[in-house]
Amino acid sequence: MISDYKIKNRQSKQKIFALFSGEIKLKIIFLAGLVITSLFFTQLVFANSLATGGQKLSEVQEEIKRLDRENMTLRADIASQSSLTNLVKKSEQLGFKKPLKITIL
Amino acid sequence: MDRIRIFQVSIYFLAFCILARLFYWQFISSVSSSSDSFSQEIKLPAARGEIYTSDDFPLVANQEAFILYAKPNEISQDPRKVAKTVAPFLISEKYSTSEAKLTEDEQKQKDTETENKENEIAQKISNKKLFWVQLARKVSLLTKKKIDEFNIKGLGFDQDSKRFYPEASMSAHLLGFVGSNEDGDDTGYFGLEGYYNNQLKGKNGRIGQVKDPFGFPILVGKYRPLEPKKGSSLYLSIDRAAQFIVEEKLRQAVDKYGAKEGTVIVADPSSGNIIAMASYPTYNPSIFGEFSEDYFKNPSVADTYEPGSTFKLVTMAAALDLSLVTPNTVCDVCQGPRKIGGYEISTWNNKYYPNSTMTEVIQHSDNIGMTFVSEKLGVDRFYDYIDKFGFGKTTGLDLQEEASGFIRQKDDWKPIDLATASFGQGLAVTPIQMVQAVQAIANNGVAVTPKIVQKIKSQGTQEIVKPGGKHRVISPKTAAQLTEMMVNAVDQGEAKAFVPKGYRIAGKTGTAQIPVAGHYDPNKTIASFIGFAPANKPKFVMLVRFREPSSSVFGSETAAPTFFSIAKDLFGYWGISPEGK
Repeated sequence: MISDYKIKNRQSKQKIFALFSGEIKLKIIFLAGLVITSLFFTQLVFANSLATGGQKLSEVQEEIKRLDRENMTLRADIASQSSLTNLVKKSEQLGFKKPLKITIL
Repeated sequence: MDRIRIFQVSIYFLAFCILARLFYWQFISSVSSSSDSFSQEIKLPAARGEIYTSDDFPLVANQEAFILYAKPNEISQDPRKVAKTVAPFLISEKYSTSEAKLTEDEQKQKDTETENKENEIAQKISNKKLFWVQLARKVSLLTKKKIDEFNIKGLGFDQDSKRFYPEASMSAHLLGFVGSNEDGDDTGYFGLEGYYNNQLKGKNGRIGQVKDPFGFPILVGKYRPLEPKKGSSLYLSIDRAAQFIVEEKLRQAVDKYGAKEGTVIVADPSSGNIIAMASYPTYNPSIFGEFSEDYFKNPSVADTYEPGSTFKLVTMAAALDLSLVTPNTVCDVCQGPRKIGGYEISTWNNKYYPNSTMTEVIQHSDNIGMTFVSEKLGVDRFYDYIDKFGFGKTTGLDLQEEASGFIRQKDDWKPIDLATASFGQGLAVTPIQMVQAVQAIANNGVAVTPKIVQKIKSQGTQEIVKPGGKHRVISPKTAAQLTEMMVNAVDQGEAKAFVPKGYRIAGKTGTAQIPVAGHYDPNKTIASFIGFAPANKPKFVMLVRFREPSSSVFGSETAAPTFFSIAKDLFGYWGISPEGK
């Protein structure tokens, strides 16, 4: 009587284990897959973001350089236009003459 | 089953290959993250500081420029054709300006230079083994645009910068220029560029950056930028308008009097600050390579000469200061030529004025009268004053090529040396030394070290340059007596017709013959005039000096009129009204 019970009990345990071990395996595989997939996509997003960030940085650096160059050229132009050498030339072209006599009152 | 086996083996084999390759990169080929082809260490050249006049106008600025390079293996056109296209743009700027009106000789020189450039470029780009070759440096934006229009494959430009001179060759001797050192880096030579090179050049930066195959920086990689630090900028005491007036007048005067060279220095007597400094002929610092090296040294500080009669002021100052003479002391040897040490001493015009006072000795620029003064002084005392006035040593002016002049050792002086030195022969001085000496007379007897740079500005900081040292040379009484003697010399002198009316100007002419092969050539002189104005409250001290004027050898007929002409313009510019006499 007792031995029958033990056998039955063992059989039912085996059935339950077999049932649960299959489910756990599937769940673990599913979860692992999910984690790997999400990590993969996260990596992809970060990598993509970093790559475009690098490109943006490069663009900003180029823009700074371009503006610096433009500033340098404009400063040189202003200096050239306002130089005495140039002003004298222009004033002569416009008919201005140096005063021959200065009267101090 | 076999297919699974084959698949497994393939996976293992691939894994092994990857591991083997990684092992090779890590341990065998010694590839490191900082030295591979994706990592770059680039030098970032620092911009050079600018140089400004006292009104904050840039005498020297920076301008965008380019390095023109070629990648010979990418050039598909005939190298000779490419060279012929670009060479005309890469020859000297003096030929490339549209305003250049070339003489026949210059046109020939241009053709030769163009041909040489063509050959040089053709040779460089014909060498297909070269990946990259530099064709020209400091190419202007305009030239770049012109070359770009040809759209030649295989040519490219890299960023560079070059010095830009808005006032062209103004103050060239004062500024110096920027050339390349043996490493190809920009370096200042002569003048302020040379003296302040360390401050002006700044500090180059570098960028160490890991890049992806497309050349973009990888942000997770090592990123070690070191920004370049721009050089400090110099702010000068030079007054731009005064400098312009001086240069214009000097150029006209050199042409008018047929002089080989002319120099003018204008300084503030109380501070020693240089207001204007010019020499003519001059050079263009942006194309300095086209000029002889003889042009580069600034004659105002590097040229030594016998000062002639302008040195009589130093002799007279010493004797007055020691109370050996007064302005009314009578010269009892002035009736005719004198023999000293076997040499005959005479006056410049062979006119003699018996019983002249010391004031008249200066007025007539009487050599005999000066021998009378020097005998009262003696070698020791005279030598001490020469030293106190700053002769025989550099003044300490902040320019690179300053010379110290030459004063014979005291022990070597003979009676004839004492006599000739009293009227400025047998010693060599620089123009700036003469200015410093007369500045002391104008400044109540106190000599001040001349200075040009007032402040040095760098990013966020400003350093005020300490004023030059001061020391008393003569008493205020002596300075006042000498000033009156100089005013009398101007009012009664040979050039009195040129003196601007209503102004009290203190001055002295000088005509020194140039020693040639052991004797003085009477037709080759250095004509000068030094003085200050207004005499009561001096605003400026000025020296005008001409080397070998041909229209007249005398300072009173060349340098003095130029001095008064410049002074007249300066009075107008500074609003100095006539004070009456």
